[in-house]
Amino acid sequence: MAAKALTSKEFNQQILEEHRPAVVDFWAPWCTYCRRIEPAYEKIGSEYGDKLLIAKVNIDEEPELAERYQVEIIPTIMVFKNGEPAGQIVAPDSKAKIDSFIAEHLGE
Amino acid sequence: MEHTYDVVIIGGGPGGYTAALYCARAGLDTVVLEKLSAGGQMALTMQIDNYPGFEEGVDGFTLAQKMQQQAERFGAKTELAEVIAVKLEGAIKEIETDSGMIKSRVVIISTGANPRKMGIEKEDVMVGRGVGYCAHCDGMMYRGKTVAVVGGGNTAAADAMLLSRICETVHLIHRRDTLRATKIYHEPLLETKNIVFHWNSKVVDLTDNGKVNGVVLENVKTGERETIPVEGVFVSIGRQPATELFKGQIELDEAGYIVADETTRTNIPGVFAVGDVRKKALRQVVTAVADGATASHYADEYLAERDK
Repeated sequence: MAAKALTSKEFNQQILEEHRPAVVDFWAPWCTYCRRIEPAYEKIGSEYGDKLLIAKVNIDEEPELAERYQVEIIPTIMVFKNGEPAGQIVAPDSKAKIDSFIAEHLGE
Repeated sequence: MEHTYDVVIIGGGPGGYTAALYCARAGLDTVVLEKLSAGGQMALTMQIDNYPGFEEGVDGFTLAQKMQQQAERFGAKTELAEVIAVKLEGAIKEIETDSGMIKSRVVIISTGANPRKMGIEKEDVMVGRGVGYCAHCDGMMYRGKTVAVVGGGNTAAADAMLLSRICETVHLIHRRDTLRATKIYHEPLLETKNIVFHWNSKVVDLTDNGKVNGVVLENVKTGERETIPVEGVFVSIGRQPATELFKGQIELDEAGYIVADETTRTNIPGVFAVGDVRKKALRQVVTAVADGATASHYADEYLAERDK
């Protein structure tokens, strides 16, 4: 399973109401560094996809989500636990950093 | 039985994937270790106009993906893994990664180079909070704002030109009294109304309110200091090679680049260096890909010698 693109409606439902543990990549199509994250993030989607919601939010299409979570720099990857943001990293430079970030906040 | 590759390539930039293409086509069992995605520095370049064959230019990320797919078409593999340590001496080289140990008979190093830092105290904590190294990547975040560009070379000049079209004012901060950038940049820069020059100046500190809100400049001749309000600082003061992993094993020059001539052979048999990480005169995509092809030739020769 690849990373899932979320609209704000889906975000509210799955993360805020259902409290699914989630990893969310805030990105935009014009952000060149965001593109560099993508292959690794898609791989993470297929590796963790059955345990966690691996999602992405296009901040151009869902500006209110970016505003609500004060995302001012992209790519920002945020983890959500019980509907609340529990940590974030900005522009990680390796898949290993994203993996250890996820393990730190959502590891068993 | 534990797998031993013929060739492990560390870094998936243009040099690395060209080496992978040639090695795979030569029938060598080849894997590329890349920590994030193909392309290296090239992947952050929106428009490459000096790579032959693309008359309209080509986007670096797209070119990188194509190079990866081309190498993989001939059997080269890619592992998204970060290298933690290497043991390069001997017939079997050992590469320790975040996803396990990898063994190989040949190692081709194509780890490239990264932007050089200013080396001031608050720099690291302010990265992503006003400090950036890639105007093309983060420039859009500063639309209508005032920013500083630090440096006087070609990259600084190109960054200042780009940002002048997006931002309200661009302060160009350079520690000399003339630009080091190629002449073609000088006139357009000087003619751009919203670029303000600060000659003989260096950044000694940043002011912030959680995010950068100013740079403190020191005049290198008079020692005089002034604070300029800016919301972003783009650092364009050159690059440094990514050779930390190899210190003490491979011969490096005084700037940290791997010493290898046009054969790409390093001082360790079976270890080659290609692209920006190698000591060379011109660091370009075309010279990196040329290195990649050359390395595969000498790697093949090295392996054939050992099989005799």
